[in-house]
Amino acid sequence: MKKLALLLAAAGLLAAQQFKLNLDHLATKASNAVDLSLAGPTLRLAARFLDTSDPDEAKVKKLLNGLEGIYIRHFTFKRDGEWTQSDAEGVRVQLKAPEWSRVVGYKSTEEGENADIYIRTQNDKISGVAILYTGAREFTVVNISGAIDLDSLADLSGHLGLPKLEQLPGKPIRKLD
Amino acid sequence: MDLEQELYQALTRKDPPPGFADRVAAREHNRHGGLPTRWLAFAASVVLLMGAGAAWRQHQGEVAKDQVMTAMKITAVKLNRIQTHVREIRQ
Repeated sequence: MKKLALLLAAAGLLAAQQFKLNLDHLATKASNAVDLSLAGPTLRLAARFLDTSDPDEAKVKKLLNGLEGIYIRHFTFKRDGEWTQSDAEGVRVQLKAPEWSRVVGYKSTEEGENADIYIRTQNDKISGVAILYTGAREFTVVNISGAIDLDSLADLSGHLGLPKLEQLPGKPIRKLD
Repeated sequence: MDLEQELYQALTRKDPPPGFADRVAAREHNRHGGLPTRWLAFAASVVLLMGAGAAWRQHQGEVAKDQVMTAMKITAVKLNRIQTHVREIRQ
C-alpha cells in the first residue's frame, strides 16, 4: 500500500514536471545546491499563506494562479569546470519542437555565461516555461509548469528586490485566457 | 460496659453498609460536574491533538511559502540577468 502511494506520488510529480532533471551528480560537487520540486498541492498551500498586503507576495500569489508545478535545480561551485556541456545538453535535448520553442538564447564567451528560455505551448496556450542558465561556476534549470501569465513572470524582475526591466525579448508577452 | 469492651467494639472490623461503594462513586462523579475523569482526559487529548495539528499545518504552510518565494527569487534573478544581457547586446 505504501509502495503504491509512493508510485502514485512519483507519477503525479512526473506528470507536472515537463522534463527530467537528472542532475543529482552535480549536487555532490556544488558548494551550494537548491533542489525545489513544488507540485500543485504545495503551491496551493503556499498561496494560502501569502500575504496580499505585501507587494512581492501579492505578485507571487497572482503568478501561482494556474500553475501546476515549479521545479528548480540551482548549483553554484567554488571552481570552474565542475559541470560539463553534456549536463546542459541533457536538458536542451528534451526541450525540442513542436512542444517547446526557444524564445531567448544568448552566449557570452567573455563572461562564460549561456542562457536559454523556452516556452511550451499546447493548443496555442503557454503551458510551461523552462530556463537554462549556466555560468563558469553556476548551473541553473527552472521548469515552471502550467498556465503561466508571462506578464506576471516578466514583472517579477521589478519585484523581490530586483530592478524593473523591459518585457522578455523574442516573443511578445501575451496573457493567457 | 467497661472501657476495654468499648474499645473492642469500636476497633472491630466491620463491613461497609450496603451501597457504600456506589455512593462513593456517585459522589466522585458529581464532583467532576457529571463527566467521568476518563472523558475529561479524552477531551483534553482531542483538544491537544487539534492544537498540534493546526500548528503543524501552519508550519507546513510557512515552509511551502518560503520554498515558493525562494523559487520565484531564483527565477526572477535569472530572468533579470538574461534581460540585462540581451538588452546590452541589442544596444
